[in-house]
Amino acid sequence: MINLENIVKIFHKNTINENKAIKGINLNIEKGDFITVIGSNGAGKSTLLNIIAGNLIPDEGKIYIDNKDVTKTPDYERAAFIGQVFQDPLSGTAGNLSIEENLAIAQKRGEKRWFAKGVKSSDRKKFIESLKVLGLGLESRLKDKVGLLSGGQRQALTLLMATLVRPQILLLDEHTAALDPKTAAKIIELTEYFVSHYKLTALMVTHNMKQALSLGNRTIMMHEGQIILDIKSPERDKLTVKDLLEMFSKVRGEDIVDDKMLLN
Amino acid sequence: MSLYAFLGALEQGFVFAIMALGVYITFRVLDFPDLSVDGTFPLGAAVSAILIVKGVNPFITVAIATLAGMIAGGITALLNTKLKILNLLAGILMMIALYSINIRVMGQPTTALLGYDTIFTPFEAFGIEKYILTPILFAIILIIIAVILVWFLHTDIGLAMRATGNNMKMVKAQGVSTNRMILFGVAFSNGLVALSGALVAQSQGSADVNMGIGTIVAGLASVILGEAIIQDRTVFRAVLGVIIGSVLYRIAIAVALSFKIGALQMTPSDLNLMTSVLVTIALIFPGIRKKIGLKI
Repeated sequence: MINLENIVKIFHKNTINENKAIKGINLNIEKGDFITVIGSNGAGKSTLLNIIAGNLIPDEGKIYIDNKDVTKTPDYERAAFIGQVFQDPLSGTAGNLSIEENLAIAQKRGEKRWFAKGVKSSDRKKFIESLKVLGLGLESRLKDKVGLLSGGQRQALTLLMATLVRPQILLLDEHTAALDPKTAAKIIELTEYFVSHYKLTALMVTHNMKQALSLGNRTIMMHEGQIILDIKSPERDKLTVKDLLEMFSKVRGEDIVDDKMLLN
Repeated sequence: MSLYAFLGALEQGFVFAIMALGVYITFRVLDFPDLSVDGTFPLGAAVSAILIVKGVNPFITVAIATLAGMIAGGITALLNTKLKILNLLAGILMMIALYSINIRVMGQPTTALLGYDTIFTPFEAFGIEKYILTPILFAIILIIIAVILVWFLHTDIGLAMRATGNNMKMVKAQGVSTNRMILFGVAFSNGLVALSGALVAQSQGSADVNMGIGTIVAGLASVILGEAIIQDRTVFRAVLGVIIGSVLYRIAIAVALSFKIGALQMTPSDLNLMTSVLVTIALIFPGIRKKIGLKI
């Protein structure tokens, strides 16, 4: 459904700081895939996500969504197909606007916006039903400014907004990394619910190896701008965190991988 | 302060509130510090005045002046979004360019409207004194504009515009072109500023290329004064705050100008100093209000 063909991304091209972040990646994301992406810092995980979302334009290669070439399509047009949740819980919502206004913006993703009333009373009923799913009591706070919410609440709201109009693909960029463990677990639970309930296709970057293997149906390991492992269920089910860590050490030629990964 | 001076301050407060609402759109809604208003205010005045002299219906000249302001604002926006010029600099470039353009528009630095029909002429037939008629007329126009603005900021496009000034990343991820929002917003803003300029020119009977100096400061002073008095929890309150701020600003100036301490008499040239003092007080006021727990 989504095809990346020979993607190359170079930062600071032709300067002393030239950095080949993505070195010729080919990836075929099937409809219904829930892919977890792991790799050490600087492996190119976030760059890959940003290239799919259109926030970055690749130097070489093509991106197809449903066989349509979207390589040059600007991010805001591509957003019609894509739902995004960022690492920073403040990034996905507008703090100065109320919960219902944020949801109203999300509900128009991929549509033309003109002079129709932003929040209609029929919308409010829908929003209340949607917010109940989060289980955070936000359904009684429609008119509260989002800036009043906690990071976890905002991330849950972002997740809801990213899926309010069903995306062709949901991009999750370490979306629990900035949250405390309990809140992170809640967001992961909601992520699983939304993906399975709406049968979404998703790509999730994580630093948590256990999560990478337990969530979704497919895991990709990246290293220095390349995909060095791409494994699907049922083969993936046999893999353990220890196996992954060993693979990591092998490619990096080091014993200890990354503090973050071990701690998780 | 005499009734005459008070009505004069009200008149000024209302007509400049239209300009201040434009400044509110750029500075507060879009977070786009746009300085082109110092040029679009006299642009509106110049376009309206020269067209009146050429025999165009005064109401139509106001519409054309508004359109001219929108075009100028649109160009400021494009300088920023398409040519990647810093928003502050884009506004300054437009402001100084308009100085020359305004003289070109009028063919001279000043255009007098004495003896010509203005939008006030048809109402003067009712026999109301001009110093009463003008503030009433300005209040009506201001209310219409404020209602339209509040409505607009709650439409789909208005919500997207407000979010653009708050979190561009989120807005793009939700499928909105932030460049388009900036274009619409800055154009809308400068349309209001030019409209205000056209009305001022018609009420004072002349357009002058220098009448725009300090527009941005007066606009910001109104916005900040309004925020200090009414916390801008909702769009409606924010818009109301700008209007109240504009009126208070003009009254404060009128009062200050009438002060006489010993041999010290304030003159119009002290206006900029007074504005700075006023804005400073308004800026520190919310902090003081929090401390003493005052809730408005």
